[in-house]
Amino acid sequence: MENLGALCILLAFCFGCYSIVGSLVGVWRAKPYLVLSSQRAVYAVWALLTTASGLLVYGLLAGDFRLAYVAAHSNKSMPGLYKFAAWWGGQEGSLLLWAWILSTYAAVVVFTNRNRFHRMMPFVTATLMVTQVFFLILIAFVVSPFQVLAVGRGITEVPDGNGLNPLLQYWTMAIHPPMLYLGYVGFSVPFAFALGSLITRQPGDAWIHTTRRWTIVTWMFQTCGILLGAGWAYAVLGWGGYWGWDPVENASLLPWITATAFLHSVMMQEKKGMMKIWNIVLIASTFFLCIFGTMLTRSGIVSSVHAFAQSPIGNYFLVFLALGIALTLYLILDRLDYLKSESRLENVLSRESSFLFNNLILLASCFSVLWGTLFPVISEYVTGEKVSVDAPFFNRVNIPIGLFLLLLTGVGPLIAWRRSSVDSLKRAFLAPTIAMLALIGGLMAAGIFHFYALVSLGLCVFVAWTVAAEFWKGAAAIRAKDGLSLLPAMVELTHRNTRRYGGYLVHMGIVFMFIGFSGAAFNKDSTVEVNIGSAFRIGSYDLTVRDLKEGENENYIWHHARVEVRKAGELIGTLEPERRLYKSSKQPTSEVSIRRRLNEDLYLNFAGTSNDGSKAVIQAYVFPLVSWIWVGFLVVLIGTWVCLVPSKIKMQFARTEVVGVVSERHVPVKS
Amino acid sequence: MSRLRVSALTLFVAVLSLAQTASQLTTPGIRRVGERLACLCGACKNTVANCPMLECHYAKPAKEKIAQMQSIGATDENVIARFIKDDGLKALSSPPAEGFNLLSWVMPFVALLAGLGAVFAWIRHYRKPAPAMAELPPELLDQYRSRAEKETAGFDE
Amino acid sequence: MITAVSITLVLAVVAYTMFIRPQDLPAPPAENPFRHLDERKARIYENLRDLQFEFRLGKLSGDDYQRTKQGLQKELAAVLAETDELRSRLGVVTQSKAPAPRAAAAKTTPRETCPHCGATFKQALKFCGDCGKPMKGGAA
Repeated sequence: MENLGALCILLAFCFGCYSIVGSLVGVWRAKPYLVLSSQRAVYAVWALLTTASGLLVYGLLAGDFRLAYVAAHSNKSMPGLYKFAAWWGGQEGSLLLWAWILSTYAAVVVFTNRNRFHRMMPFVTATLMVTQVFFLILIAFVVSPFQVLAVGRGITEVPDGNGLNPLLQYWTMAIHPPMLYLGYVGFSVPFAFALGSLITRQPGDAWIHTTRRWTIVTWMFQTCGILLGAGWAYAVLGWGGYWGWDPVENASLLPWITATAFLHSVMMQEKKGMMKIWNIVLIASTFFLCIFGTMLTRSGIVSSVHAFAQSPIGNYFLVFLALGIALTLYLILDRLDYLKSESRLENVLSRESSFLFNNLILLASCFSVLWGTLFPVISEYVTGEKVSVDAPFFNRVNIPIGLFLLLLTGVGPLIAWRRSSVDSLKRAFLAPTIAMLALIGGLMAAGIFHFYALVSLGLCVFVAWTVAAEFWKGAAAIRAKDGLSLLPAMVELTHRNTRRYGGYLVHMGIVFMFIGFSGAAFNKDSTVEVNIGSAFRIGSYDLTVRDLKEGENENYIWHHARVEVRKAGELIGTLEPERRLYKSSKQPTSEVSIRRRLNEDLYLNFAGTSNDGSKAVIQAYVFPLVSWIWVGFLVVLIGTWVCLVPSKIKMQFARTEVVGVVSERHVPVKS
Repeated sequence: MSRLRVSALTLFVAVLSLAQTASQLTTPGIRRVGERLACLCGACKNTVANCPMLECHYAKPAKEKIAQMQSIGATDENVIARFIKDDGLKALSSPPAEGFNLLSWVMPFVALLAGLGAVFAWIRHYRKPAPAMAELPPELLDQYRSRAEKETAGFDE
Repeated sequence: MITAVSITLVLAVVAYTMFIRPQDLPAPPAENPFRHLDERKARIYENLRDLQFEFRLGKLSGDDYQRTKQGLQKELAAVLAETDELRSRLGVVTQSKAPAPRAAAAKTTPRETCPHCGATFKQALKFCGDCGKPMKGGAA
């Protein structure tokens, strides 16, 4: 079985190479057979990788402990879902998942465009397949998922595996990596189209129109991946942090930021034919940051510099990145004339400028995250001494940037395209600004003086107001014309331009998230050792430990505390935090218990018992407003789905069709 | 030398110290200093103050060390200096703003300013009127204009 | 057993990739040289519609509205000029494929005069009898 799996990967590698060469030679020598054959090779690669993945998953589910990968990441007692999730639990498997997702995307792209873009498609195929081949090199020759355990020349088998890291045995963690990978890998497609259109100098913005939905879906996956990861960290790591500025987290954030910038600046190209170079740069950066992110996640370059030399795959990634970036840069510089702007900036005070600033701020935050992530490596290289760059650094640099971005979210949509006058802006800004100041004043009157929290909550009101006003005014205009009532008018409005109003919904979701982030300024926590039956207090809650229980199942041993929650003397619930010790990995984890409410979460972690067993050690936290992050996430998702619905009104216009050739005598040709 | 005295005292207190319970290690003073120190346990990217693991093999002794030094009157700077002496610059949770490490703080803002400059250059460049229509003779231009006006006539409603 | 499966697999993949019948080749698509110009035209129409809507919402003053609209019309004129230029360069005759009825209804201008050469005819024609270029609004 392992032989068959390895053979599939090897064959996929060969056909990937064939597909690259076939596409390029086929288009160069104008051989349609070769082009078609190389497209078939794409399907073949998909079939082969599907088989290989199937074999690995089968090995995991069936517990084939001859395979090193299965022995390291699965065991007999794990539930089936986590056995399946072990596919992406380790390096080899997750690279296989990467390759498989890419092959699926490539097959879908080739299939859906089989009758279009005959000049461009071979280059698109080749770009996708170059990436594919790169990952196939890794899993075929460097870190094979089908490595067997061997002693001398004989294959051996271990009785049971280590099991998936217990921290990862949680439902969001089971779907977080594939989501993130669907996002990471998905950006290869718009990048491939961008490159294809650049190489063949396609007239118009075909690559943008073709990949518009694709980019949005990919962005959605990436958002899901990041937020599921945050939700996992919040609920599993036991201290309520959802974002720790860990290099691996940063790696997923970086391409998300550039992709967000791309989604905005692409409107400049669609509306005005401007910023063509910049859009190519952005999508290329996104793609390379995705590769870079995979490298950070997989090679451990940052968390430990010394592991880098030993990690076999880091250098492969570096070479791929260097070559890819060099080629892209060359292509852009070589074809600057093709990327010339079609129009001009009419006025400085216009939506165009607001997009410029949006891009600037997004890129600045991307740079600062990248810089902070890499700085320990750079500093050690230059000064010889390692420094730590932890959350305080990122917070200090990124909170102001993030708040500024939030402000732009509110300001941008109010400014009209092409030109806007100060008077109309004054009118538009008056009400939201008053609302913002009123809220800040109110909060200060209530005794809250945390600067960033005030600014953030104030801006949230400001932006929410402007977004709501957009819906309100638009709906009012439709009501006046079509006589609909308010809600149908809003639906109608959204349906007429789904991208714009879906985008506004996404903005609203981001506002909700910022409300959640602001709550972090008011977190409370306390760690107590309490006797059973006695009470302690955090925030407005009185907590009483009722009893402690323990037990075990085949996967882990558990200790479990029952804590009663009272507020103003009234019993409002019982929380049951738990502590587990996983048997196969000997790793302890805590299953926190959370009382989630929109105003604040009460979060209990059962840290253990005192040495004599009479006291429970409880870490109690109150996280105000944190639930708004997840609410915001849902709103972002809904908004993204709205963006994907086709708009009801498509601009109708006469298409020019060639019906004949002008003859010498200028006689009209009958059609 | 005050530093010498402090470290000598630390040593003395350390010998006498008993394991402190977790709740005693979360005083505002420990937090304030712990916030500036990185947890170097290798498993988290938190600060000493925020490390959630009660028995963290780095953060717990670090908190104890802070508590001991504070109990004998060490200032925040003394404590931090002590940590840097023991563990190097990486004991700080963010790079010190001096020497090469100053770059870590400066670069994001340099990048922002450079970007701002680029944006303004872009705006200046594209504010110039487009030369696209200048090449057409005026009467032809007018003809096309009137055609365009006719084609867009339906948009006024 | 494993050898047999492996050989079958290799053969199947190679056969699938290499053997292509002539009828498998996709028909070459009708490449329309005017497509990008049409798209630009569509974009301008869309911008105009947006502009009008934003004006109705009070996002911009009447003066701004007029100026932006004129700017867009100028852009449209440029596209029309480019279309004509491309048409004469390629030496082809084109016709407008009917847009949807809503937009078509807006066209009420008399069509007896050829917009290209100015020749007049008694009735609407698809193509100008004089210069051979399509006359606007000719039924397609």
